[in-house]
Amino acid sequence: MLQPELIQLLTASDLVDLRIDAIPKLQVGFSPGSLFSSFTSQDREAKLTFTFIPHQILLNKDHEFFEDGDIHRHLYLQNLSTCPVYDSPTARQCEFRCHISGCSQVFSTVEEYEHHYNTLHRHMCSSCQRSLPSARLLDIHIQEWHDSLFSILAERQDMYQCLVEGCSLKFRTREQRKDHMIKIHQYPSDFMFDKAKRIKKINIANKNRQQKGTSMEVSMSGSEPEDVCQVLSDQPEEEEYMELNHSLEPAHHKPTETTAQQRETLLQVSIYFKSQMAHYFLHGAPHDSNVFPLDLQSMCNDPECIH
Amino acid sequence: MWRLNAVRHKAGRQGSDLEEFKFKRRAHEKELRRARKDSKLVSKILLLNDDENEEDGTMDTLASDQVLELFKMVCQGRDLVKKEADLRALRKALRSPSAHLVLIRQQSSIAILVTNLRGPSPQCRLEAVRCLHELSQSPHSEVDSWRLRQATPYLITFISGQSPKFTELCLYTLGNMCPDSENVRNILLAQGIIPALNSCIQIHRTNLAVVEAVGFTLSQLISANYVTGRIIPNVDNGALVAQGTLLRCTSLLVTLGGAVAKGSIEEGMELLIWPLLRCVGNLLLSGPLGALQPQLNDSRLLAALCAFPQAFLQTHPALARESVWVLNNLTSAAADSSVFCSALFYLNLVPVLIQLLPFSHGINIMVLRVLGNIAHQGREYCLHLAQAGLLPALCATLKMADPEVVTFSLEVLGQLVASDPQLAEEFVRQSGLPVLEAIQYSNQETIRLRAKHLLEHHLPPHCTVDTSASP
Repeated sequence: MLQPELIQLLTASDLVDLRIDAIPKLQVGFSPGSLFSSFTSQDREAKLTFTFIPHQILLNKDHEFFEDGDIHRHLYLQNLSTCPVYDSPTARQCEFRCHISGCSQVFSTVEEYEHHYNTLHRHMCSSCQRSLPSARLLDIHIQEWHDSLFSILAERQDMYQCLVEGCSLKFRTREQRKDHMIKIHQYPSDFMFDKAKRIKKINIANKNRQQKGTSMEVSMSGSEPEDVCQVLSDQPEEEEYMELNHSLEPAHHKPTETTAQQRETLLQVSIYFKSQMAHYFLHGAPHDSNVFPLDLQSMCNDPECIH
Repeated sequence: MWRLNAVRHKAGRQGSDLEEFKFKRRAHEKELRRARKDSKLVSKILLLNDDENEEDGTMDTLASDQVLELFKMVCQGRDLVKKEADLRALRKALRSPSAHLVLIRQQSSIAILVTNLRGPSPQCRLEAVRCLHELSQSPHSEVDSWRLRQATPYLITFISGQSPKFTELCLYTLGNMCPDSENVRNILLAQGIIPALNSCIQIHRTNLAVVEAVGFTLSQLISANYVTGRIIPNVDNGALVAQGTLLRCTSLLVTLGGAVAKGSIEEGMELLIWPLLRCVGNLLLSGPLGALQPQLNDSRLLAALCAFPQAFLQTHPALARESVWVLNNLTSAAADSSVFCSALFYLNLVPVLIQLLPFSHGINIMVLRVLGNIAHQGREYCLHLAQAGLLPALCATLKMADPEVVTFSLEVLGQLVASDPQLAEEFVRQSGLPVLEAIQYSNQETIRLRAKHLLEHHLPPHCTVDTSASP
C-alpha cells in the first residue's frame, strides 16, 4: 500500500542522519514579474485576483473538521466500533464538471469529460459560436467567413484552401475546391456517414432563409435522433447543438445530466454534422453566410452531390 | 487497544445478525452526529466484568419486586460472604436498565451501596463499586450523577489505592459522572480529584488499563467547555511545549508511522494517531515555528504525515485530511517553513501528496493548500514542484466539479507559471491552455477572473504554441 521509498524512510536505522536541519535548504524568493513580487499595477491586480496566502490553521475541538474522528472515537467508547470497515465513509474520487456556462454536465472520469468537451465545445468560432471539428477547419472557417479581407482577395487570387490536411492547393471558387476534393482526395460526393439519420425532405429551406435571428435553444432531454435534426433544421447549420449562446450567463435552459443513451445520440448527431460541415465548405451558402442549408436535398443543385 | 478484545466479545454476544448490528450502528452514528452538532456529544463507558463471558441468555431481566428483594437482603445481611453473593446478584440484575429505576427510587439505596463501598470486606467493596458503576452509565436521566454524589469522596480516595481492578472501576465510574452536571464536577474538583488522578498515575503507571482509565476520566472532566479555566489555569500551549509535549507527540507519530510502514496496522491504531495529529496540529501555532523547530527536527515526521493518508485513505479519509492539515501548519509559516518545504522535496514526498489530489472529503483542498504553501516559498520551490509532476496533476484538478478545488488549483498554478517562464511553457506543453479557456466560461466569476489573468499575463499567446492536442 505504501510506496517503498516511504517505507524505507520510516524504517530507517538510527545510523542515518534524520535531522531536518541537516537537509540543504532551497533558496527562497522570486525573480521580478512573478505574482507577488513587485509593485507594478499588474501585480496589484494580481494581488487582488489571487488571494491565497499561506497561513497556519488553528482548529477548535468542536470544529466540524474533526467530526468524523470524534464520531469514530465515541463509537469505540460505546462498543460499536467493531463493525467491519466497509461501513465507514470511504474517500471518494472527485467528479469532473464541464465548465462551459450552462453546460454543467458531470463526469466521473477525466476521459469522459474530455470526450464531451472535445465533441461539443472545442474549436469554437468566437464570432458565430459555431463549433468546428478541428483547429484547422476553425482557422479556415474564420478566414473564409469572418475575415472581410478574404472576399476582396478572393476576387483576384486562389484563396479557397483544400480542406484535406497536408494538401496545400488553393482554388478560386468553392466549387473548384469541392471538385478537387472529390476527384483527387476521393471524397464521396455525399458526406453523410450514416444515411439512416438523414432528415426527411421538408420544405423548410425558405423558412430557413427568413428566420435569421431565431433562438438557438435546443431541448436535449429524451429526443430522438431525428427530432434533434428536425429541430436544428430550423436554424443555421450548427455543429454546436447544446448551448449555442456561449455567453457567460447561464442559459435559461439548463441541461441536466444526460444518460448514456442521450450522449450516444448526441455523438451520432455530431458525426452527422461533421459531414454537414464538409458539405457546407464545398457548396457554400448561396445567399447569406449565416444561413446554412440543412435540407441538403432542396438546396443543393450540384448533380454530383447526392442527398 | 486492550479494550477492543472485550468489546469484540460483547458485540459478538449481541446478536447473530450482522445486518442488524450494522443497522444499529448506522442509526447510532446518526445520533452521535446530531449530538455533536448540539455540543452534547458525550459517552459513558461500561466495563465488562470477567464473569460475563457466559452467554447473555442466562441473564433474564428481573422483575422489580425481585430487584427489591435482592436489595433488602443486601441491607439486612450481616454475614459478609452472603452479603457479597447478594451484592453480586444485585449487580447482575443492574445489567438490565429497568432495574436502575427500581433501585434509584428505593429510599437510601445509594447510601447502602456507599456503606458497602467503604466497608471492611474487599469483595463487598468490589461488588458495591460495580453496582455504582452500572448506575453511573444508566440511560435513564433520572439516574443522574447528582443522585450518586454520596459516593464520590470514597471513589476519589480509592483511586490512590493499590488494587488495579478496583481502581479502574472507581475511575470509570467517576468518569461517567463528569459530563452530567457542573455541580457534580465542582464537587469532584473540591474533593481533590486532580491530585488523586495524579497520584493514581504515579502508582499505576505500568498498568495500561488503569492509565487508560485515568485518561478517560480526565478527558471527561475537561471536555465541558466552561470547566477548562478552573481545571487547567495558566496552562497554555506554550507551557505544554516547554514541557516537551510537542517532542513527545511527534516522536509517537514517528513510531506509529514506522508501524504503518511495516504494514502492522493494528485495529484501533487510528484511535491513537487521531488525537496525536490534533495535538501537534494546534501546538504548531503555540509560537513562532522557528522556535519550535528543535522539537520538530526528525525528518521521519514528514514521512509519517505523508504515510498516514496513503494508509488510511480508504478506511478513514478524515484521518488522511487531518494528517495533511498538520503538514499545512508546518509549511505555511513563511521563512520558518522553508526548511520543511525543502525537506519534502529532499525526501521525495511531494509525489505522494500529488497522488492524493483526486480525492474529496476535503483531502484535495488541504493538499492544494500545502502545495500552494510550498510554491509561495519561491522560484526554486516552484521548479521542484513542476519536476515532481504537479502541472499535469493540476490540469486534472482544474476540471473537477468542486469550485473550491478549481479555485485553489488556479492559485497554485498561478504561482507556478508566474515564477518562471519555463513553467508557463511546460504548462502549455501539457495542453493546459484549452483547460483555462474552458474555465473562462465558468459561471463563477472568481474562477473566471483568475483564469483570465493567467491567460493574459503569464501564459504565451496561442499562435506560438501547438494547441491541437485535447485538453
